[in-house]
Amino acid sequence: MLEGLNRVGIYEWEVPIGYVPGMRVAGRFFLSESLAKTLEPGAVQQLANVATLPGILKNSLAMPDIHWGYGFPIGGVAAFSVDEGVISPGGVGFDINCGVRLLSTPLLHKDVSGRRDLIDELFRTVPTGVGAKSCLKVSSQSLDGMMVKGARWAVSAGYGVERDLMRCEEGGVMNAADTRFISAKAKQRGIPQGGTLGSGNHFLEIQVVREIFDPDAAKAFGLTLGQVCCMIHCGSRGLGHQVCTDHLKILESATKKYHITIPDRQLACAPITSPEGRAYFGAMAASANYAWANRQMITHTTRQVLSKMFRVEYEEMPLIYDVAHNVAKIEEHILNGKSRKVCVHRKGATRAFGPGSRDLPPDLTSIGQPVIIPGSMGTSSYVLHGTQLAMDRTFGSTCHGAGRIMSRTQAKKNLNGREITANLLKEGIIVRAHSENAIADEAPGVYKPSDEVVNVVHEVGISRLVARLSPLGVIKG
Amino acid sequence: MSFEEIPHTADVKIHASAPTLEALFSETFKALMQVMYGTERGDGTIRKIRIESTDNESLLADFLSEALFLSEVEGLVFSDARIRINGYCLIAELRGESFDPARHSGGSEVKGISYSGLEIMHDANGYMLDIIFDV
Repeated sequence: MLEGLNRVGIYEWEVPIGYVPGMRVAGRFFLSESLAKTLEPGAVQQLANVATLPGILKNSLAMPDIHWGYGFPIGGVAAFSVDEGVISPGGVGFDINCGVRLLSTPLLHKDVSGRRDLIDELFRTVPTGVGAKSCLKVSSQSLDGMMVKGARWAVSAGYGVERDLMRCEEGGVMNAADTRFISAKAKQRGIPQGGTLGSGNHFLEIQVVREIFDPDAAKAFGLTLGQVCCMIHCGSRGLGHQVCTDHLKILESATKKYHITIPDRQLACAPITSPEGRAYFGAMAASANYAWANRQMITHTTRQVLSKMFRVEYEEMPLIYDVAHNVAKIEEHILNGKSRKVCVHRKGATRAFGPGSRDLPPDLTSIGQPVIIPGSMGTSSYVLHGTQLAMDRTFGSTCHGAGRIMSRTQAKKNLNGREITANLLKEGIIVRAHSENAIADEAPGVYKPSDEVVNVVHEVGISRLVARLSPLGVIKG
Repeated sequence: MSFEEIPHTADVKIHASAPTLEALFSETFKALMQVMYGTERGDGTIRKIRIESTDNESLLADFLSEALFLSEVEGLVFSDARIRINGYCLIAELRGESFDPARHSGGSEVKGISYSGLEIMHDANGYMLDIIFDV
């Protein structure tokens, strides 16, 4: 382990106050010894930098998929006092409400095994990659609907069913959305991209449930062994990217105006209650809504493909759940025995509310929130449930994915997209992407093993394993 | 005058160097376009932009963000930029062509230009920087 860090539990480490100048609280992160071998000094420094921000509560936290990002580390979680704390786009990222959802189907492994035509059809109908434009026409009025009502707009426009909304974090809409703070540029970028997947690590994957760890929770979520599911990973596209760019500029001036000292310009921030802080929060919420609508639109396209090819009814493909993993939210948490409103930033971290939490649909209240952790191409994805311990320790948060360990430059140099595709095919996994580079960039070997990451959060108890899914086919941006 | 991609776990990190500030901006711009669209980029279409900012780093980030915006909404892939800088004001002539999925689909979409670790340095040999693009 890196020098200057204190081990405080089997899987828990402390970054003491003083690790970087100006820390107001200590940092804490969760990691196994084997995952610690790939921990980068830059990631720990970023975790410590977050601890210098005004109004931070308890600890600057990071999940076991911690890695070096910009501003916050990826895997970073921090909560701020609503009255004295700040809000920062560096704690959310450019891809606001990048998130993941899991759609179930009544199909079994044997129904889709080796069906290249299914993956080809999804690749043809769901726009992916750089420069992709939507086939679903979005008017400027519809764009307002997406930003204000999120997934609710998409369902009312015919891109889903009412029950889908019950299975989205926040019901698929943040009511704090304020489109007055969305620039004309952001809107211009948002219109042609509604219903598109994007590129990079975004994907749509056909998966099969391989293992059930918690039968009661799996039953409540709607998962059975051998069942085919579809996982969709994407965010707010150019609209969210532009909102982050625009507001970073405004918040940079605000950082100076409010005399806030920051160790990294990407941590530009403003008091949550300031006009600049409110403007960013309203615009960020509108972008988050756009992302929920976007995932709902892709869900619709996917259901249509599956309906057509397998004669499955649209209603037979219920949504298991949809989670955001790049977002800031005002939530109530218990601090020193008292309930307090706090602003939780999750940058590459997933909300993992425990049993009894208010935001859960009635049928899941006794279980806890479904948590969806995508693997990388070729490796397993997991469904977990939130816990009370997460509420007590991590502001109801857990990891968001496998977490990269190899840079893209190394991946392109050492890995060959064609070989990876051929090897995955031998394992029964069909991959479609626009380029071999995109496949090498996102190959299984560039990520931490997803099983090790989820094992840490399971052992620590900030979420518990429910089911494991493995890929059958994937389309990449 | 050059740029190269250097290892960064999550994103794309570029190291660029050039004898003048204008050339440094131009190299970084070309690096951005290469990351997004690959190396086969032609010209024939011209767009002019003007950016004003508060320091060199912000000027660069604002310039690249504007290029990202233009590229996305107009479907343009740029190959080169002629840049003039006066104080913290920049005028650029961007040369490029329309996006062609057959030639330009191989790259990674850049989501934003990060300020993390962005510092433009200057010595007797010229200017240099490291910059992170979120992909």
